[in-house]
Amino acid sequence: MDQTQEENMSPDKLRIMVLDDEPIVCKRLKPALEKLGYEVDTFTQSPEAMHQIQQTSYDIIITDLKMKEIDGMQFLTEAKKRHPGTEVIVITGFATMETAKQSFQKGVFDFIAKPFKLSEIQEVVNRAAAKIRGPAA
Amino acid sequence: MIFIIGIFVYLSFNNVLSKLRSIEIIDDVNIALLEMRKAEKNYFLYRDANALKELAKLGEERYEIIQVSKSYVVPILNKSGRKNYDRLLDILKEYLSLANNAIKTKEVPRDFEAKLRTMGQDLTSVSELLLKQERENVSRTINNNVLMLITSLGVILVIQLILWQYFFSLIIQELTVMERMIKMVSEGRFHEVAVKPILPHNEIEIAIKAISDMARKLEKREDDILQAGKLASLGVLISGVAHELGNPLNNISLMAQTYLSVYDMLGDEEKKNFMGDIYNQTERIRKIVENLLDFSRQKKQELQECDLKEIVRVSLSLVANHLKLAKVKQHVAIPENLPPVQVDASQIEQVLVNLFINAIQAMPEGGDLDVNGSYDPQSANLILEIRDTGIGIQKDYLPNIFDPFFTTKSTKGTGLGLSVSYGIIRQHHGDISVESEEGQGTRFIIKLPAMKK
Repeated sequence: MDQTQEENMSPDKLRIMVLDDEPIVCKRLKPALEKLGYEVDTFTQSPEAMHQIQQTSYDIIITDLKMKEIDGMQFLTEAKKRHPGTEVIVITGFATMETAKQSFQKGVFDFIAKPFKLSEIQEVVNRAAAKIRGPAA
Repeated sequence: MIFIIGIFVYLSFNNVLSKLRSIEIIDDVNIALLEMRKAEKNYFLYRDANALKELAKLGEERYEIIQVSKSYVVPILNKSGRKNYDRLLDILKEYLSLANNAIKTKEVPRDFEAKLRTMGQDLTSVSELLLKQERENVSRTINNNVLMLITSLGVILVIQLILWQYFFSLIIQELTVMERMIKMVSEGRFHEVAVKPILPHNEIEIAIKAISDMARKLEKREDDILQAGKLASLGVLISGVAHELGNPLNNISLMAQTYLSVYDMLGDEEKKNFMGDIYNQTERIRKIVENLLDFSRQKKQELQECDLKEIVRVSLSLVANHLKLAKVKQHVAIPENLPPVQVDASQIEQVLVNLFINAIQAMPEGGDLDVNGSYDPQSANLILEIRDTGIGIQKDYLPNIFDPFFTTKSTKGTGLGLSVSYGIIRQHHGDISVESEEGQGTRFIIKLPAMKK
């Protein structure tokens, strides 16, 4: 795994977790988001990601919905329970209104259907970051 | 037959009738001879010439009568009767000549009386014998006729019984054919029923032809239902496939976006890697689409030697994404050395996909899907068991689940999946059955005959 556990990170840098069992998604999202100044950890195995959120918190979690082992809905429910301040962005190929609605009910920040544009996800992440920083600023 | 017996009876009664007439004549002769013997007695009493003349006269008359009657009686008599009749004439002739001689010579030889008496006695005894024989003949003929009638009645009865049995067995035979055809129809083996068009000769054959015609029409309709069922499961498969396609599509999209934005900074090797990755993703899409196309294609049934394990593998790959999404774990246990089956692989795949989709839908919270294969040497069947740990089927639904358009999924189901599966398995001379416990899970058992070596 290529997650980094920096103790002395910049207070400005928001931490983002990307969870998708497609390695290419992780591989491509990581540099695209790092370019915007975020600190990005990526996971392709949901149990590992689950383990990780028990240890540390993330500002933004980007997760696929349908995965082997623990599915995205279960994962984001757990993440929201642990850290209610975490904004969750759902990406999935299983784009139906039903799942979208369901994820919104869980307090999901936004919902992005695969295939998506990198600019699209960058824009949503920026909006989520603005929301996180907004009240603090 | 009855006509022949009728003619026979008529002829033999005619025969009896003429015999009776001959008896009448012989009886007359007999009486006439007895009258003559009376004259003979008179002669012996008075011993005069007049009495002798009277005797001779009566004798002449009798001779005349017997001679005349001969042409009438002889054809009716049998051989010994005829002999006796002739003997009667001979004796009478001799008797008369003896009497006439005595009249002529007016002289009675010493042994004349004794001779005359003996001959007279001979005459009566022969004529009585003749009468007796003829009476016996008649009664024998009548007896024979009665016996003949009873025998022929028996024979007619037996022949009738045999004919009846024959026609009955013919009818039974045709009804058995009909029963077999109806059974085949009920098992969905229309093809076998609809093979040979026959020219109907009777009502049963008309019915057989009607069944055969019906089977032909049903066979055509079955193809449509089969395809409809396939399209129905395809609808379910599509949603999974859409998701499955989403990932490689997304990967290609991401690769292309990244490539375009950082094109200037990439070295040759990196560019090659990018294109390689994109190519791999398109291959992934190609395989998914190919599988789906292969499944949806309408094909004529094509029986081929197949490995059940391979059919199971292909079917599972079609629903792999569904299994993944529903968090259903698959456990396949099929021995390597199972005998082959002669089946249409795509049809059996359709059955398995149906069963797998049902199993997955029965486990919304995830669960286990067991697929176990075995071979039963006693029945020469391959047995495939598909077991889920899902919600199970309500007991009162169980008898109906293979019926067309029966569904427990309200608008989500077409009710075609299992009925089509049932049809396919029966067409392969196999069997499909179900056991289910509500809240525990469902178990489908498919039996397919192993290929004969």
